[in-house]
Amino acid sequence: MKTLISLIINDKEYEVAVEPNRTLSDLIRYDLGLTGTKKGCEMGECGSCTVILDGKPVNSCLVLAVQADGRYVKTVEGLETEEGLHPLQDAFIRHGAIQCGFCTSGMLLSAKNLLENNANPDETEIRRAISGNLCRCTGYQKIVEAIDSVSGRTEKMGGKS
Amino acid sequence: MLLPKFQYYAPENLREACEMLAGLKEKARPLAGGTDLLVNMKQGSLSPRYVVSLSKLKELKGLGVKDKLFHIGPCVTAAELAESSRVKHDFAALSMGAENLGSPLIRNLATIGGNLMSARPAADLPPSLIAYGAKVVLKNKGGQRSVDLKEFFKGPGQTVAGPDEILSQIQLENPPPYSGAGYVKLGKRKALEISLVNVAAFIALERPNGAIRDARIVLGSVAPVPMRAESAEKALKGEKPGESLFAKVSQAAAKECKPIDDFRGSASYRRAMVAVLTKRALNMAFDEARERELRRWK
Repeated sequence: MKTLISLIINDKEYEVAVEPNRTLSDLIRYDLGLTGTKKGCEMGECGSCTVILDGKPVNSCLVLAVQADGRYVKTVEGLETEEGLHPLQDAFIRHGAIQCGFCTSGMLLSAKNLLENNANPDETEIRRAISGNLCRCTGYQKIVEAIDSVSGRTEKMGGKS
Repeated sequence: MLLPKFQYYAPENLREACEMLAGLKEKARPLAGGTDLLVNMKQGSLSPRYVVSLSKLKELKGLGVKDKLFHIGPCVTAAELAESSRVKHDFAALSMGAENLGSPLIRNLATIGGNLMSARPAADLPPSLIAYGAKVVLKNKGGQRSVDLKEFFKGPGQTVAGPDEILSQIQLENPPPYSGAGYVKLGKRKALEISLVNVAAFIALERPNGAIRDARIVLGSVAPVPMRAESAEKALKGEKPGESLFAKVSQAAAKECKPIDDFRGSASYRRAMVAVLTKRALNMAFDEARERELRRWK
């Protein structure tokens, strides 16, 4: 039996009827068409489905859509503003931190969460923050450099999620 | 990957949840963080007809001191546990376990109660909790009972909890004076790792620089359930702590464990590592016991 849930994704309210066995990642991608959130392993190992749920990055493949009822979700689509790309998105492009792009949305959201809680992380802290996001192309170095280039500039990063 | 079909309930309070489970019994599974249950359901190893979410149960959240005991709500996440300054200060070994569980993304979902109820032999939180002498409270419609955590695990994935029981509280006694604990996890990488071996140790001294009054050593991933190394513990009691004693005792712990060969590592490697990790955990415990003594005088 479907349940009616309402949730806010990227500051927009959605009301959707979902089956209990619908995951949040499937709701976001298939019901709402926000395909920036990727699905990789679907077992909570790869982090490509990362979204920010009530201010905390989580694997959306391990959250039921019904559990997101009444909560705030930020996906990668919510990073860009009218002023343009988020500084992290911009840094990822400039540093060549994107190759195939599959991990990118998760990396960006984990990095955003890190910088909101710790404006000046050291390299270890950056690597730890993205340790739940697997990248099979870049070897991580350029991603770490991209995040590092934005650290200390949180005032330019826009509001909290 | 689709989840099998099930009916979903989200009771409003603990009493309602207990009543629900009393009716549904084995057909239902409580859902906390979901990082084990949903994975098992996707893999097809579990397919409950009913999933009972514990997310609205305020009784299972939060942590703090009540009746001189430190209480941890089972729905406290690994991230909340790792961030708690009180846990870091008084139960450092538990804090270390929480800090190293899964990944940052998993830690924001996974709960301490789920880590216990899943009863995986390599789980990160049970060794430290047993080393601190934790008790858990199991509640059902008819009442509640308190169980010593060292008696809680029955086998991989199995606990003494009945299908109608909800883990409702985790209780720790404040660490005694001149005591300390340590936790060491060995894996091949630093994140998203299932331990090859994990060891927690706790020691309490009779007085500053005194002999060891009480000791607990808990070995994970080397038996079907986290196990106490009892002969090693016995060898510590009444002795003066130090490098040579710890080396001797670590060998006893290695002799006592019952590891298996699997794709993550061989039994003989695991046994050798038990000795190394036990020594390290004991050193950490001794260091903390001395530090705690110094802090008292500051």
